[in-house]
Amino acid sequence: MRIVIAEDDPLLREGLALLLRAESLDVVATAGTADDALDAIDRHEPDVAILDVRMPPTHTDEGIRAAVEARRRHPALAVLVLSAYVEQSFATELLTGGVGGLGYLLKERVGRVEEFLDALRRVADGGTAIDPEVVAQLFTRSRRDTRLERLSPREKDVLGLMAEGLGNSAIAERLVVTDGAVHKHIRSIFAKLDLAPTDQLDRRVAAVLHYLEDARRR
Amino acid sequence: MPNGDDHPSPGRRDYFAGVARDALSATRQLVSGLRTALLALLVLVLLVLCALTAPLGVGLLAAPAALRALHGLAGLERARLARFGPEVVAPEPPPTAARAALRDPATRRELRWLGRHVVAGLPLGLLGFWLPILAVRDLLFPLYWRFVPADATATSIGIGSSTSWPDAVAVALLGVGWVAIVLGLGPAMARAQAGPGRRLLTAGPETDLSLRIAELTATRAAALDAHNAELRRIERALHDGTQNRIVSVTVLLGAARRMVARDPDGAQELLERAQSAAEQALADLRAVSRSILPPVLSDRGLAGALTGLAAECAVPCHVDVDVPGRCAASVEATAYFVVAEALTNIAKHSGATRATVTARLAGGRLLFTVDDDGQGGARALAETPGDGGPGTGSGLAGIRRRVAAHDGTFRLTSPPGGPTTLEVDLPCGS
Repeated sequence: MRIVIAEDDPLLREGLALLLRAESLDVVATAGTADDALDAIDRHEPDVAILDVRMPPTHTDEGIRAAVEARRRHPALAVLVLSAYVEQSFATELLTGGVGGLGYLLKERVGRVEEFLDALRRVADGGTAIDPEVVAQLFTRSRRDTRLERLSPREKDVLGLMAEGLGNSAIAERLVVTDGAVHKHIRSIFAKLDLAPTDQLDRRVAAVLHYLEDARRR
Repeated sequence: MPNGDDHPSPGRRDYFAGVARDALSATRQLVSGLRTALLALLVLVLLVLCALTAPLGVGLLAAPAALRALHGLAGLERARLARFGPEVVAPEPPPTAARAALRDPATRRELRWLGRHVVAGLPLGLLGFWLPILAVRDLLFPLYWRFVPADATATSIGIGSSTSWPDAVAVALLGVGWVAIVLGLGPAMARAQAGPGRRLLTAGPETDLSLRIAELTATRAAALDAHNAELRRIERALHDGTQNRIVSVTVLLGAARRMVARDPDGAQELLERAQSAAEQALADLRAVSRSILPPVLSDRGLAGALTGLAAECAVPCHVDVDVPGRCAASVEATAYFVVAEALTNIAKHSGATRATVTARLAGGRLLFTVDDDGQGGARALAETPGDGGPGTGSGLAGIRRRVAAHDGTFRLTSPPGGPTTLEVDLPCGS
């Protein structure tokens, strides 16, 4: 897996590169600004770009804009955005054009190396990685939706992990249940929420996220 | 009360101290009033000359200048009165054309004040100035009466002569009388002298206070802006500095945990890096909390804090701060850090033998300059913020960002060979 990293803090940038190289991943370039990152992506055509949201010059949403621009130039590029804090509008902006090959994680998730590498691989394979914090915020804000109340606690857990972008077997592993049980839960959830069942993972994530987003707006 | 007659009770001592303090303040007020009264006499003469020569045309030409002098003096008097009591709110800027001025109620009130200040304020000021001198002269007379020629008048009021001890003591008693007058009547005299100004120079009922309100609104908005800029700066410092350090710690720790089994030595190295990242996070946190408000600023104010910086500077440094009142705390803190950084650079790089720090308040902006006689050539490192490693002026870049956050201006002139001048200008925000 070939990776470009854009992060303005030198220590964190080096730390990330060190971590990924130790996992035998190929960090082809690192950058300190969004423009440098776009140049590096054009030059190296990596599989994944890991982008910090706040970078010079304005330290606001350079990383998000760079992610959108990089995806426009290279539709096959997977992008994982790292953020110091959860900002719903960033997640929404990032995910409007589809959720395949996209990730939005809090920076501190990197420290849980196994889960971070899982998320990175998922995104690189065209999947999705949404930070649990983002999903939790969507859930708390959509509390008024009565249909969500119909879900059992276990089904809510499954819905949350689906929203994060996890596949069936990963969900089963997290919840320590069998694949079959997860499958059953998912069918039940889709029925209760009136969602069309689909086996394609990124469509499923998009459906769930849209559902939660809609519930939040209502 | 026991012992009440033998020793003055604390209450009575406080009372006498209070009387003495009031008399001292009244004397200062009367003397400062004497200054504006003398100027008032000058302006009055000028205006009368203008009026007399008006038929010849000369007076009409000179009238605007004379009226400007009147308004200027009125402003001076307002500022003086504000020093000794509540603020005297100025009316809108009055006209300086002769015809409009004659109709303008504010100008007419200023003219009435001018007359009264000359007629009453001037004698009161002279009394306030002379009475303490007379008191001292007559009180001390017994000490030197022998050296005074016998035919000279002994008292300060010009009557009587003194040829014996009883005479000298009588003169001293006269001095006691002067002291009694100063103590008893001083405050009343000061009030009488200030009265016309307080009544006539303030904005009249016909004045539209909207200007004043607009001014207050603007300064209040500026204070809020400064406050917001400061909060933004702190938030950024925490997110982009401290938080990144701590994330680095978790990243390095995570990597080390993965490596422990495979490569214990590598894990050891990662742990060491994690530790130093944690230490950096702590240092960052200290710097952020210190940068919010250096304790010295709240303890000693801007002038005291800057003097302290200059005293610590290795290069002899002259400080000239004339900033009445206080600016927004965040503005003062920024000023403090700019000067601190500039002086550090001077001591480290300039080779200067002396440096000067000046600070002034003008038009709601805090202006300050730091110059030195060093070799100059302080590179415009600050032009490219963010790229500097340690020692390449990243400090100056940070200072520049901080000034910009307050909507201030930052100018560094440093030709090769020197001298170097750093000028910064910040909206005061209060």
